[in-house]
Amino acid sequence: MRRSTRVKKYIQTSGEVSDFSKLPLHKKFSIPDLLYVGYGLLIVFLVLVSYVLGAFNLLPNDPQQINMDMLMAPPGTGGHLLGTDFMGRDIQSRLILGIQAYFLPGLLAIFISLSIGIVLGVLAGYRGGYAETVITYFTNLVDSFPRLVLILLVIAAFKPDIYYIMMVMGITGVPAVANAIAGKIRVLAQKNFIEAAIALGLRTRVIILKHILWYNCRALLIIQATLGMGEAILLETSLSYLGFGVQEPTPSWGNMVQSGANYFMQGNFWPSTAPALAILFTILGFNLLGDGLNNMLEGKRSR
Amino acid sequence: MKSIPLRILAITLLKELGLASLLLLGVSFVVFVILYAAPGDPFSVLLEGQLPSEQALAGIRAAMGAQQSWYGQYFSWLHNVLGGNFGTSLHSGLPVAGELVKVSLNTLYLTLGSMLVTLCIAVPIALYSSMRGHAVAISWPLTMLGYVFSALPVFWLGYIAIYVSVHGFDFFPLSSSGASDGNGWLYTLVPVLVLGLGSGTISEVIRYLREEMSRVMAEDYIRTERAKGASVWRHAFKEGLLLPVSEIIAAKIPFILGGAVIVEQIFNWPGMGRMAWQAAQDRDFPVIMGIALVAAIFVRVGSLIQRIVYTAVNPQGARD
Amino acid sequence: MKQISIIVVLALSVLGFVAGESQAADLKKTTRPNGGTLSYGEYGRPATLDPITSNEMISMRLSELIFNGLVGISERQEIVPELAQRWEASKDGRTYTFFLRKDVTWHPKPGEEAKPFTANDVVFTYNIMMNPKTITPLKVRYEFIEKAEMLDEYTVQFTLKRPVLNALAKFSFKIIPRHGPSNPLYLTREDNFVQHPIGTGPYMLKNVTADREIVLVANEKYFKGRPHIDQFTAKPFADQNILTQALTFNAIDMIVLVNPRSIAEIQGDKRFILQPYNALSYSFFGYNLRNPLLADKRVRQAFGYAVNRQEMLDAFFNGQGTIISGPFAPGSWAYNLDVQPMPFNTQKATDLLREAGFKPGADGIMQKDGKKLELTLMVPIEKESEAVKRVVLAFQNYLKNIGVSVKVEFKEWQAWKENVFADHSFDIIFASWVFDDSADISSLFHSAEIGPWKNNFGSYSNPEVDALIVESKLTLDHEKRRTINRKLHALLADEAPYTFLWTLTNYSAYHKKLQHVAIHPYKFFSYADDWYIPVAAQK
Repeated sequence: MRRSTRVKKYIQTSGEVSDFSKLPLHKKFSIPDLLYVGYGLLIVFLVLVSYVLGAFNLLPNDPQQINMDMLMAPPGTGGHLLGTDFMGRDIQSRLILGIQAYFLPGLLAIFISLSIGIVLGVLAGYRGGYAETVITYFTNLVDSFPRLVLILLVIAAFKPDIYYIMMVMGITGVPAVANAIAGKIRVLAQKNFIEAAIALGLRTRVIILKHILWYNCRALLIIQATLGMGEAILLETSLSYLGFGVQEPTPSWGNMVQSGANYFMQGNFWPSTAPALAILFTILGFNLLGDGLNNMLEGKRSR
Repeated sequence: MKSIPLRILAITLLKELGLASLLLLGVSFVVFVILYAAPGDPFSVLLEGQLPSEQALAGIRAAMGAQQSWYGQYFSWLHNVLGGNFGTSLHSGLPVAGELVKVSLNTLYLTLGSMLVTLCIAVPIALYSSMRGHAVAISWPLTMLGYVFSALPVFWLGYIAIYVSVHGFDFFPLSSSGASDGNGWLYTLVPVLVLGLGSGTISEVIRYLREEMSRVMAEDYIRTERAKGASVWRHAFKEGLLLPVSEIIAAKIPFILGGAVIVEQIFNWPGMGRMAWQAAQDRDFPVIMGIALVAAIFVRVGSLIQRIVYTAVNPQGARD
Repeated sequence: MKQISIIVVLALSVLGFVAGESQAADLKKTTRPNGGTLSYGEYGRPATLDPITSNEMISMRLSELIFNGLVGISERQEIVPELAQRWEASKDGRTYTFFLRKDVTWHPKPGEEAKPFTANDVVFTYNIMMNPKTITPLKVRYEFIEKAEMLDEYTVQFTLKRPVLNALAKFSFKIIPRHGPSNPLYLTREDNFVQHPIGTGPYMLKNVTADREIVLVANEKYFKGRPHIDQFTAKPFADQNILTQALTFNAIDMIVLVNPRSIAEIQGDKRFILQPYNALSYSFFGYNLRNPLLADKRVRQAFGYAVNRQEMLDAFFNGQGTIISGPFAPGSWAYNLDVQPMPFNTQKATDLLREAGFKPGADGIMQKDGKKLELTLMVPIEKESEAVKRVVLAFQNYLKNIGVSVKVEFKEWQAWKENVFADHSFDIIFASWVFDDSADISSLFHSAEIGPWKNNFGSYSNPEVDALIVESKLTLDHEKRRTINRKLHALLADEAPYTFLWTLTNYSAYHKKLQHVAIHPYKFFSYADDWYIPVAAQK
C-alpha cells in the first residue's frame, strides 16, 4: 500500500468504510466522543449566537463607546461585566462582536481550501499522470513557505485586510485537503472500488461526486472545516501581535489580546486574559468537535 | 528487511533533491513577484528620516545599479545565488549569506528544541491514550492539557512565561541577559518551551500519532502476532511511531518557523524570524529572498529526512 | 512612534531647555572614579554604525559615542569647540576657517599605532558626504557649502555658496578618518567601515556579539580625557514590554527612550531615575486641503476645538507633554508663547461648522449641499503602536460628538507614505514631525513644496504664509527673524492646516548607580564621557 508522505492533519488517507453503522448506538459512540462533540457543538452554537447578536447589534453595551474615565476597569465595574479595555470600551460586547471578524473570512478560508483542494485532489487521484505531477509540485510548493512569512509579505504588498489574510490562509490549506482526497481515492482504487463502479456503468461525475466525495470523504471535509476556523483565529492573533491583524476600531479577539497584553507586565492581566480565554475555549471546542466527529464518522475507536 | 537497500535510498535521495531544487526555484520566484508588487521602493527606505525626492531616488538607483526590468532583476539575482552570492543587505550592507548562516543556526536551535518539547509531551500522551484498556480518567486530562496549550496565542503565552519567570523564579529568560554566570543557556530553554507548547502543533501531533498507533495496533498482522503471544513492539514502533513522527515533523516545519517569528521578537532571539520581520518592513529584498530560500530549504530537508526514514523502514513501499 | 524627521536649519535656542544642568566646569574630572559598565536597551537595532550612511536614531546615538564633529552644540545650544580649537568667519559670512586640535588621534586598530587626526580627514569627510554615490540623509543639509579646502595640516577652510544664519552649528557633522573607508571616493553600505567604524570619540567599537549587541570600550586616549565608564553596550530589543522588564530586572541599566505606558511603572521604582529630555518634535492631525470639505478654514478650526488635548495627554501619556498652539517645535526660539492652544469647546466647534454651512442630517452627521462630512484618517501600522491607536480612536470619538464621521484606515508604513506623500489619497493623517534642531518650517507650509514626495502633503497654500517664510529665510538678523516667525506662528495657528496637538516629553530611565548623567536633547550621548559609576556600585 502506498502511503501519502505528507501529514494531512489527522485525517486518515487509508481510512476504510467499515460495517460500523450496523453497531448498536451505545457501542457506536464512546462517552468521551459524545462529550467532545457535545462541547464542540455548544461552542459552535455560542459562536453562531454571538454572530447573530453582533450582526443585529444586540449587545449589552455599545462596543465602540469610548470612556476615557474608565480605562482598563476590572470586571464588574460600572455595568461592564468583563471590565473595559485600553480605551474604556466594554470588553464583553467587544468579545461578542469580535466573532464577526472571523466568521465570514474564516468561512472564506475554509471554502477556498476545500473547493480548490477537492478539485486538485480529485484530479490528482482520479486522473493521475501528468496532472498528478503538476498538482504534487504545486502542493509541495505551497507547503514550502512558512505560512506566517508568506502572509506578512502579501499583506505588506496589498493591505492588512482580514479577507486577504484568509485568502492566503485558504490557499495554504489547499495541499492538506488535496493530498488527503488524492490519498483516499488511491486507497479506493486499490480496493477496485472505482473499477467496480465503472463496470457498473456509473458515470464519472456520479462516481466522483456521490461515491467518492459524499460517501468516502465527507467526514474528512467536515473535520477540515472545523479545524480551519480554529486556525483562522490563532493566525489572526499572531498577526495582531505584529500589528497586521484586524485593525481598530473593529474588534477581533486577536487585536484585543494584543492591545491588552501591552499592559500585562504592569499587572493589568484582565484585558488580555478575557479574549485569550475566549480563544482558548473556542479553539478547544473546534478541535474536540473535529476529534469527536472523526471518531464517530470514521469509526475509529481510539479510546 | 535485513539491511537498508542503498540503491533505493540513493534513488529516493536523487528524486527528492531534484524536486527540492525545482521547489526552491518556485519559492524564490513567487516571493520575488510578491515583493515586486509591494508598494514602497526599497531604496526610498534608505533615505528614511527624510522624504525622498525623485531625484535622490534616481541617484540611489544609479549608485546601486538597479535599473533593470523585473525579470532582469530576478535572473541576475538567480545567477548570483547559483554562484553562491546572496548579495548584500540593502540596509546594513552586510553579506546576506553570512548573516543567514548566523541567524538560521539560531532559528534551527529554537525550532528543533521546540519540536523536541512538542514530541516529549505529545508522544507519551498519544501512546498512552491509544493503548487499549487504559483508564480514560488519566489519558483524558493529559490530552486536554495538550489541547489547551495548542489553543493559546503564542505571544500571550510568551508574556506569561516572562512574567512568571521574573516574578516567580527571579530570573530573566533572555538569552543575552544571563550569559555572564555560565548558565546563560538555561535561559534559552524558556523560549524553546514556549514555542514547543504554544506553536499550536501539540494537539495535531497527539491526534495524528494516536490515529496511526491505533490503526497499526488494529492491523491483522498485529492481532495475529498478539494472539500468538509474540512481541509486536518492533513493528508497532516502526509503523506506528517512527513513520508518523517523521511525517508530522516534516509537515510542521513551516508552521513552527511561523511561530518562531513571534517568539523571537518576544525573547529577543537573534534568529531568522526576527530578521524576516525587520527585512519585510525595510523592503530589504536580498535578505527577504535569502530567508525565504533558507526557510524552504529547512522544509525540504525535513521532507528529505522523512523520505529516508520511510525508505529505510519500508523499502517495498518506496519502490512502488 | 515612527516619525518623519525634517532636516531643517539649525539655529540657536536659549528657551525652555529641560536637559540636566551641567556642572562639568565646577567638578574636577579626577574626583570621579573610572570603571564600571553600562548596558542600555534600544527598541530595534542599528543597521550601520558610521555617521554618514546611518539614518535612524539608534545609529546616531552610537555615532555620538564613537565620533566627534568640528564643533559641538552644548545643551544650552551654544557652539563649543570639539575637534576644532577655534574658528574664524569672514565678514561676508562666506568663508569659515577652522583651526584643529593637534592632540587628537583616531581609535587605533589592534596592534597598530593610533593615527593622528588632521585637516585631511575633514576635507575627506566632506567630499565623501557630498559624493553623489554616497547615500546619506545628510547631503541636503550641506548643499550650502561650496567647497572645503585644507590650508595646512591643522587648518581647514569652508567656502559657502551664500551666507547662512547659524552656519557654525552645521559644522557639528561627525568626522571620519581618511584611512577608514576602503573606497576613498564614496561610502556605500557594503564598505567594511560602516560596520567597523573608527572615530575620535570617547568610546571605540570593540565588537558586535552574536546577539547583535554592540560593545564599546573607553578610548584611553580621548582628547578630552578618558571617559569614566569602561564599557558601553547597546542591546537591541524587539518588544518594548520586554525592554521595560529588562530594566526592572537589571538586565540592562538604561533605556534611552521609555514607552509612555511604562512611565508609571518605572516611576514607582526607587532604583531608577526617570530623566526627561526635550525632543523638538510634535504630533498633529494634518488635513488634505485638496478635499473641498477641508479647504474651509472653519471646518479645520472646528476640529481643533472639538479635540480635548489635555484629556488625551493625561489618559494616554501620563500627562507627560506640552500642548502646543502652532507649527514650531516648542523649545525652539521661533515658538510663539503668546498664542494659546485652541481650548476644548464642543459648542464652538459646532457653531463653526454651522457657520460654514453644515447642518446635521437625519443620521446625525453634518452635511452641506447633500455632502456628508465623512473623512478618512490614515494611520501607519506599527508594532506596539497602541499609543497611536488610542489617540486616533479618541479623535474619531471627539469628532463623532460634533457630527463628523471619521473612518480610520491603518496602512503598512511604506504604503502609508506612498498614499500620503505621492498619491495624496487621504483626508486626515496623524503623524509627528521631528526637527533635528530647530525652526525652519518652510518645507511644510510653503506652496512651492506642494507635489509628490514633498513635505507640504496637505497642499496648503497661502500667499501671506509664503511671503513670511521667504522673508524669514532672507533675514540674517536673529531678532527680526524671530519676530517674523512669531507672526507666522500666529497666522498658521489660526489657519489650522494641522490640528497641532502636543510635544511629548521624552524620558530616559536609568539605574541610580549612574551619576552625573546629562542628556543631549536629540543626540543623547553627547556628555557620556562625563558620566560615572561610583566604585561601590561598579560590581
